[in-house]
Parts: sequence; structure tokens; C-alpha cells
Amino acid sequence: MSAGPAPSIRRHRDRRISLAALVAAGAAVCLAAGTGAGLATAERPPSAASWHPGCGDDCPSVATAPTPHGPPTRVRVPRIGVDSPLTVLGLDRAGVLIPPTGFDTAGWYGGGPAPGDTGPAVLAGHLDSRRGPAVFARLGELRPGDLVQVWRGGQRLSFRVTGSLRTRKDQFPTAVVYGPTPGAELRLVTCGGDFDRRRGHYVDNVVVFAVAEAGDPVLPTSAAG
Amino acid sequence: MHTLRTAPRRLLAGSGVLLLTAALAAAFPVPATAAPGADTVGYVRLAHLSPDTPAVDVYLAAPGAAKPQVFPGVGYGVVSDYLELAPGRYAVAMREAGAPASDPPVLTTEVAVTSGDAFTVAGVGRHADLGLRVLTDDLSAPTDGRAKVRVVQASVRTPVLDVAAADGPMIADGVQFATTTDYQQVEPGSWRLKLTGAGGPSADAEVRLTGGAVYSLLVLDARQGGLTAELRRDAEGGTVVPAGGVDTGAGGTAGAGFDAYPMVAGGLAAAAGAVALLLWRRRRRTTW
Repeated sequence: MSAGPAPSIRRHRDRRISLAALVAAGAAVCLAAGTGAGLATAERPPSAASWHPGCGDDCPSVATAPTPHGPPTRVRVPRIGVDSPLTVLGLDRAGVLIPPTGFDTAGWYGGGPAPGDTGPAVLAGHLDSRRGPAVFARLGELRPGDLVQVWRGGQRLSFRVTGSLRTRKDQFPTAVVYGPTPGAELRLVTCGGDFDRRRGHYVDNVVVFAVAEAGDPVLPTSAAG
Repeated sequence: MHTLRTAPRRLLAGSGVLLLTAALAAAFPVPATAAPGADTVGYVRLAHLSPDTPAVDVYLAAPGAAKPQVFPGVGYGVVSDYLELAPGRYAVAMREAGAPASDPPVLTTEVAVTSGDAFTVAGVGRHADLGLRVLTDDLSAPTDGRAKVRVVQASVRTPVLDVAAADGPMIADGVQFATTTDYQQVEPGSWRLKLTGAGGPSADAEVRLTGGAVYSLLVLDARQGGLTAELRRDAEGGTVVPAGGVDTGAGGTAGAGFDAYPMVAGGLAAAAGAVALLLWRRRRRTTW
């Protein structure tokens, strides 16, 4: 081992260079992983373990309200500061849902169930305009148990968030979002993910799921008599 | 000596490769995989479908819950509404009506609730061979604006049953007592259903089926004798479902993220190349 001082100096210098390279590499890895990690967490929110249907033993009995009629007129989501009138949304020639024209107004898909009726009622709102945040900008912050209120026919209908998903629009889970449900449910839809500037649209949709707030389950009487 | 000479080079080469890999990864971000479904709720309902079994108390225990939910005095022919439950394994127990909760249950079963799926937990069969069965309810949308209906056969008086619409399609053929058919697609509208079976009473049922809805036709022994049927709406959805997602954003809050990545990645790649070149030239000039 007749190395002398020279190799050790060189080695020291080399290590510094490699250390710098490693730091740069690490930063690059973080940047690259940032996209993946962000997606992974956004797709699977915490499970609805804290949320439970109905209420405990000593909950107030819910008076049976008359069946609401007509289109929904307003949506309010206290946790994310949403309080918006509702327009009625339709489909374009290709059968795709047309988003609301206004960035500050959410819309209800009028071809599907209305909020409060059995089935999944779908409300859509913009994430942002070209200038800044729009009506559903903070939809992704909703968590199981959060309250959503919809006004319809002079009644205020309450829903509880049960979960959410983020999906590529070209792989939209139509059956999960629009499929039949046993009770009155709500879907709140906006955009998410990366913005594709060539197309002028976001790549993903964010969908929040909610179910009508129910009282204690009541057993129907037997049809056998 | 050899190890001393090669180690730094390996380290440098390794870090260079790492840098390039990272740059490439940044240039081609991992695509978002399609979410299989939201982590929301599943649906469970309870049913008593055993004609000669007295009323029971049904206990439904959530995973990790201290106290079960109790449905007292559930009699023959009762089918509850669906309960919306967080996914997990739930325990169902049946006791004779009025029996203390500390008594050992007559029957128990478990239902694994999964997000978006529906189940009917039913006490089926004659009292002598009563069992708890977990039926999977397929609530998926019928196609082309039709309705979906199935038969839940809980009559011992007509133990083998045919169900057909008058001037319409056959809905079920030779359904045995204590069994359930698959869902059949039927045109929406009003139908008169004929319930018949060899050696047992017959019955008619007027039903109105809505397009996009899913139904179960519950066939029971009526208390006053004969056969009776009840149409239960299991689920409902729209008939015209939008294609794909919805464009709800103009990009004002998108930031530089998506567009900046190629630039960032390119910069990193260039830096990696420069470092590699520099090191290569240095190595050539000096003796190791």
C-alpha cells in the first residue's frame, strides 16, 4: 500500500463530486417521485372508518318530510366554503356531460336522478377558470363525514360524504359514479391532476361520493300479512 | 490498490446513471392509474324468509364495534331497507325474539362488505333446517333503458315456481323454495305477473317497472293462505348516462407543474451529461 498522500487527496475530492452528484440525483428522484406519490395519496383517501350509517341509540327521530319536487336550486358545502346556485346540465352530441358555463356556479345533470330521489344525483362544478379558483376548487379536501346540503322544492336535503376518487377522464368509472344505488346519493365532480395545455383541459376528474343522511333504519312490515 | 482506484469511479458512474434515470423518470411521469372505485360504502339488508320460523331479533355487529345494531321482532316476509355500511367484515346473529343478547344465538354468519356492493342476509329454509344465507345483489345498471328483476322464492306452498309476464317474457322458470334467481332484464312499464307452480296456489301481481331500476320480486306464503308477491326496488339510477368524465377546469390554478417537467428533466439530463463529461476528461488527464 504505497499510496502516499496523492490518492487520498484525490479520493477526497472525488467523493465531494460524487456527493454533489448524489444530492442532485436525490433531488431529481424527489421531483420525479413527487408526481407518483401525489397521485397515490390523492387516489385513496383515508377509509370511511369514522363514518357510520344512521346514528347511535339516542338520536332524534327524523320527521318524514314530503317528497321534494322539481330541480335542485342550490348546493352548500360548509367545510370548503361552497354556496352556489345550481344550473341544469345536459349532454353534447357525443353524450358527454356539458360543464356549467359559469365558473362560480355548479350544475346538476338533469338527465339523471335529482338529489333526494333514489339514485346517484350528479353535481359538477369547475375547479378553476383561467384566472383562478372556481366553485369546486377545494372539492378534493372533502373527507368522509363532511356535510353537503342541496336545496330542492323549498327543502334542504342533507348528505354525508362517504369517500372520493381521482381518475383519468379517459378511464372514467361510469358504473361506479352513475350506477344504480339503493338510496338517495350524491356525486360531486370536478377536475384534478395535470393540466394538459395542448388540449386546454385537466387530465383527471375528482369525484366525491355522498349519501342522504338517514334516521334510524325502520323495518317495513311483512308483505305476508 | 485496485479497490481504492475503482471504487470512486464506480460511485461516480453509479451516481451519473442515477441522475440520468431520475431525469428520464421526470421526463416521463408515471401515468395515473385508473381508480378501481371509491372507498365509500357497501349495502346490506336483512330478511326473514322462513315461513314457519317465528319472529327473530337480528344483531348486526360492525368490525370492532362495542355494541351491535339490533333489529327486534323481525317476522317472516320482512326485508329491511339497505343499510349503508363502511367496508369490513360484519357479524350477523339471530336470536329468538325477546331472547337476551347474552343468550347464544340460534344462527350466525358473516358478511364481507365491499365498497359499492350490495348483500341481502336472509334467514332461509324451513324452521327445521333454517340457515342464514348471504345473497349477492347485483345492482349494476340494466342496459338500454330496461329494468332488472329477479325472484326471491320464499314460499313452501308453491315450492317450485314459474313467474311470467302476461303477454310478456318469462322471468323465472322452476324456482325452488329458498332460492333466488339471477336478475333478468325486462322492458320497463306495467306488467301483470303470473305466479304459478305445480301442486300449489297461484297468484297474480301487478308491477310497474321503471327503466334503469333494479327489483326483487319477493314471493311469500300469505298469512291468510295462498301465495302473495311483493316487488321491492333494490336500486335505481338514470337511464341516460353521460359518456366519460367532464371538463371542469380552465387551468388557472394549474401552475407550471405539467409543462415545467420536460424542462426540469432536460436540465437535469444536461447537468448529468456535463458532470459525466467533466469527470471523464479529468480521469483521462490524471493518473489514478
